[in-house]
Amino acid sequence: MSLQILFDALSLGGIYAIAALGIALIFGVMKLVNFAHGQFIACSVFALILPSADAVAVLGLGALPAGLLIPAILLFGAGLAVLAEAFVFRPLRNASPVALMVASFALGILLQNLLLVTYGGRPKAISLWPELGQPVRLLSAEIPLLQLFVIGAVGVILAGLALMLKRTRIGLEMRAAAEDFGMARLLGVRANRVISGAFALSGALAAVVALVLVAQTGVADVRMGGQIMLVAFIATVMGGMGSLPGAVAAGLALGAVSALLQAFLPPEARPFRDAFLYGLVILVLLFRPQGLFASASAKPRV
Amino acid sequence: MKYTTSLLALLALAAPVQAEDITIGFAIAKSGWMEAYDTPAATAAKIRIDEINAAGGLLGQQIKVVEADTRTDRAESAKAGLDVLDQGAQMMVVSCDYDFGAPAALVAEGEGMNSFFLCAEDVKAGIQGVGPNSFSSSVLAPVQGATMAEWAHAKRNARTAYVLEDTFIEYNKGICTGFDWMFPTLEGASIVGSDTFKNDDASIASQITRIKALGAEPDVIMLCSVMPGAAAAVRQIRAAGINSLILNGSAVDGSYWLDATPGLSGFVLPVQGSIHGDDPRPEVETFNAAYEAKTGARPASQYAYPGYVLIDLWAKAVERAGSVDGAAVTAELEKMQDEPTAFGPRSFSAELHHQNTALMQIVEITDGKPARVDEWRISQPVPMDVLLGK
Repeated sequence: MSLQILFDALSLGGIYAIAALGIALIFGVMKLVNFAHGQFIACSVFALILPSADAVAVLGLGALPAGLLIPAILLFGAGLAVLAEAFVFRPLRNASPVALMVASFALGILLQNLLLVTYGGRPKAISLWPELGQPVRLLSAEIPLLQLFVIGAVGVILAGLALMLKRTRIGLEMRAAAEDFGMARLLGVRANRVISGAFALSGALAAVVALVLVAQTGVADVRMGGQIMLVAFIATVMGGMGSLPGAVAAGLALGAVSALLQAFLPPEARPFRDAFLYGLVILVLLFRPQGLFASASAKPRV
Repeated sequence: MKYTTSLLALLALAAPVQAEDITIGFAIAKSGWMEAYDTPAATAAKIRIDEINAAGGLLGQQIKVVEADTRTDRAESAKAGLDVLDQGAQMMVVSCDYDFGAPAALVAEGEGMNSFFLCAEDVKAGIQGVGPNSFSSSVLAPVQGATMAEWAHAKRNARTAYVLEDTFIEYNKGICTGFDWMFPTLEGASIVGSDTFKNDDASIASQITRIKALGAEPDVIMLCSVMPGAAAAVRQIRAAGINSLILNGSAVDGSYWLDATPGLSGFVLPVQGSIHGDDPRPEVETFNAAYEAKTGARPASQYAYPGYVLIDLWAKAVERAGSVDGAAVTAELEKMQDEPTAFGPRSFSAELHHQNTALMQIVEITDGKPARVDEWRISQPVPMDVLLGK
């Protein structure tokens, strides 16, 4: 029982962590809170099916074998984010952070309406990898295979990202840009390359979330991604804006606490689970307004 | 001369009122996510209007339709109401959902006009939340929940139930309210546990862990949810190896979501009429054919039907009242007791402009295929205090 709850908590936290990472990456390099991230997730979900307003969905990309499907969707997410950067955020590079944020909202609404026009407003069913739902016995717990995959994938992605940030040139440039973008540029870091790179990574992470969501729920809805985006944004704030480890830790924590609250709150209080969750977030922020792991650039210099 | 000009101006202003048609205003979502739910019911309403016009009209006049788009937005809904009013509407048809239809319905109420929600199943969409001239022809959500409780007890020997409520909208709460009211009153039946989730929860693993922690699998799981959360919940429940009969409300009607859980069995819902071509009443299939002829496809869910029924009932009341005046038509509608329609009898009263009991068709999904298996009418109407959540 308790082991089961641990796995529930880890898998939900893992999804939130990946989504939060997608937001923190972009915030790190260009101080932009990308509110269109939720729509990147939704678009990646809908990329699996053929565009049509019919009630029954026909698999498009989703019909490919997993070995081709996963890279294809990751590329789709990355491509979408890079395009968004090139056409929306690059012309606004020198605008104020508020203008950027509003632009990201506008982009989100545009993408959502694009989905509405091409696919209609009705949710669609997608049966992606139903065999991943099979429960497996692990000690005292029965865990859906998908949960194990999610937890494993989160581990691999985090390790891979950490290696990339520590060991590769683009990673070094991204970390430098996150510390002090102006200084990094003076020292020869190419802004477009770093920012496009961050967007591509962020878009690919949105696609990972999309795949997990579809495998878990079996549905595509134009509004999906919104709730995850909100949690992920809160996680980046709680983790300390711009801090990548902070976003991951806070995302994991939010998911885990949400699962624990669901498990242990008395029935009358359970409908208000999220109120408790965000109450805790407020408490954390009261004690650490700069977030759990504030990045150096977020602290005022004296 | 001056007088003549004023008179002419007055005549010009009065012209729309003197038109030879009866005008029905549709203030509904023609864009945004609600459009998928409003359009089928509005199409059905227009099918009934065409039938009435073809048969000589209403009070000897043809019915004309004017429309405005609410864009699935509460503020735009009020504007759409004013818009159709400006276009001369004498009765208003508003969005399916209470939240999105009420602002327009309140505009109609302010004019003393009748308003009909396309398919609202929340008691507020009527006298309680709009005013004395507002109606819905659909079947209240608690009736759907109570129907599931009594049917599953009588026909599937359900004695233990687990209630899983999605806290997303009032409709879900209504389904659970009806089930919670009916099920424990049945012989030997008890609710062994309940839990909540949110429609857009990324995972309901914790909720499933709680069901699996019960000593024995419950006979039925009453799932009070709507798409897309309902499909996601069903997929996760079945994936976890829980094989209880799953009950839901009418909102999940239609086969478009079944791919989410391939080979789904043991899933039951109540509907007003079957879209699957197996309804025992020939009128239902006649309507399905008329709908296909008009749109090129059969109805995707039962939510087209209330649109047809509302025009049918309103037109009958208008004929009996001899006018389209809101209060006069309301009085005639309130006299209706088990008024026959193509989709079963309907009643209204001075207290309730909704159905607190209804003959419902039971649809069961077996091996991923939905089929009508039975019909059921609850043994007693859902009492008013249960409907109002007292």
